[in-house]
Amino acid sequence: MQDYKPKSIVLFQGLFCADSLKKVKLAKGLHAFVTEGRPSLEAGRKTASVLIKKGITPTMISDNMAGFLFFKGLVKEVNIACQYADQTGALCDTGALILAVLARKHKVAIKLLAAEHRHRFLGDPKYILSFEGQRIAPKGTIGYVPMVEWVGVKYFKGVSL
Amino acid sequence: MSFESLLFWPVRTDLEPCAPGSRSVSVFYVLDETLVPSKMKYIPVKNVKGAVAVIREMKTRAFGQFLVVLNTFLLEIQNGPNHFKSSDQVRLMDHLKNVAHQLNNSRPTFPFAEVTGIVVGAAQKAAANGVDPRLAVTKTVHGFLAGIRARRLQRVQEIADAMKDGDSILTHCNVSGELAMAASLAAQAGKHVKFFATETRPYMQGAKLTTWELQQAKAHVTLVADNAIGSLMADRLVNKVIIGSDRSAANGDIANKIGSYQIAVLAREFGIPLIVLTQPSRGVASGAEMPIELRDADELLIFGSKKIFGTKVKGFYPGFDVVPHQLITKAIAINAGL
Repeated sequence: MQDYKPKSIVLFQGLFCADSLKKVKLAKGLHAFVTEGRPSLEAGRKTASVLIKKGITPTMISDNMAGFLFFKGLVKEVNIACQYADQTGALCDTGALILAVLARKHKVAIKLLAAEHRHRFLGDPKYILSFEGQRIAPKGTIGYVPMVEWVGVKYFKGVSL
Repeated sequence: MSFESLLFWPVRTDLEPCAPGSRSVSVFYVLDETLVPSKMKYIPVKNVKGAVAVIREMKTRAFGQFLVVLNTFLLEIQNGPNHFKSSDQVRLMDHLKNVAHQLNNSRPTFPFAEVTGIVVGAAQKAAANGVDPRLAVTKTVHGFLAGIRARRLQRVQEIADAMKDGDSILTHCNVSGELAMAASLAAQAGKHVKFFATETRPYMQGAKLTTWELQQAKAHVTLVADNAIGSLMADRLVNKVIIGSDRSAANGDIANKIGSYQIAVLAREFGIPLIVLTQPSRGVASGAEMPIELRDADELLIFGSKKIFGTKVKGFYPGFDVVPHQLITKAIAINAGL
């Protein structure tokens, strides 16, 4: 890619607790990319806000763009928000499994950082039917909003919390 | 074919009266897919500039773009500069080449040159043989349109045949009518098939177009965020993936809406077959040679007039993914007649 060198992107996904991101440092020449986190966009907004306060300008991408970055060899590291982890895997915000599979395929390191704890496994379907308060899907559309997913230990080496 | 989606053929030339039997086109109308499903509005296109605009602004996309490209040649030989007399073939050919050039450069990922090259080539051959190139353009375009329509309808049946009773199919973006029409045929054949559609940010083709036309086809469809595909596959809520492709390479690699690569990788990881609707092409040898359009990041960062993530962020919006052929289980190809 013209503007991004190989292995120059550090990817952030999920709703991190504020303390997790405080420790993040971005070396010179690296770029912070943040997945937006549909349907609420809360994860994208909060992560962007914390990074900005640290003097890092994040680049937002939609949740379907991470694959492109991996395919192009641009991703150096993935930071995933994790609510719980043990020796069999980790409970992460939805979207983490995509990144974990991609990271393993493309031999990219994953770091698990503590997430804000939430106790919902399914979100209200109505949130996927709208975007920023505007109805997008036609009337009568059924939505499905899984909030968390299990990422098996085979997708990452060790846990860093 | 009892159900035909409006998205299957989103360009119309019949919204204005013309002389009976006339094959000339002075204006054509393009369904504004950015407004679907809330409004069914057709945009009049009267020249190549208007055609390029509807393509660039994604008022139409995928197959609709090729209809725009083809109908633009009919427009331009009808409405072109008045000096296109039959003896003025040099200027006519120059004009056709200029039209082709503008269309080819409207969106870099799409192989419009493969189509415009056929039309311009037919005109050049006619001119070399002393035949009015406009006749050749008219015949070529109308023949191509009739042929592609028949072939797409044939492919709809093949897609329906690939659907089995009990299937739960994940799809991404929108495949311009064919999936919904296939769903209708599958239902008529007594197959119970469910669909999951990704919303397909940032343009939401999945949320707006695919859910709408699957509903029109009376199919069962559930909308999910783009980030939910891992959950769907890991939890075995889907057993098949069907997506379209915007471009194919000679080795079977394809380019399709952004998000397609991660879907393909996850499908392979979870042993879920990936079926891709393709149009064979030898224009490029492999996906590595396909230019990927980078769109304005504001299309991702701004919704309505609101900056979704504030003012201090950047955005990045590649329009397409390349999916290597090794990840594709089955390609249902269309012979586009090129």
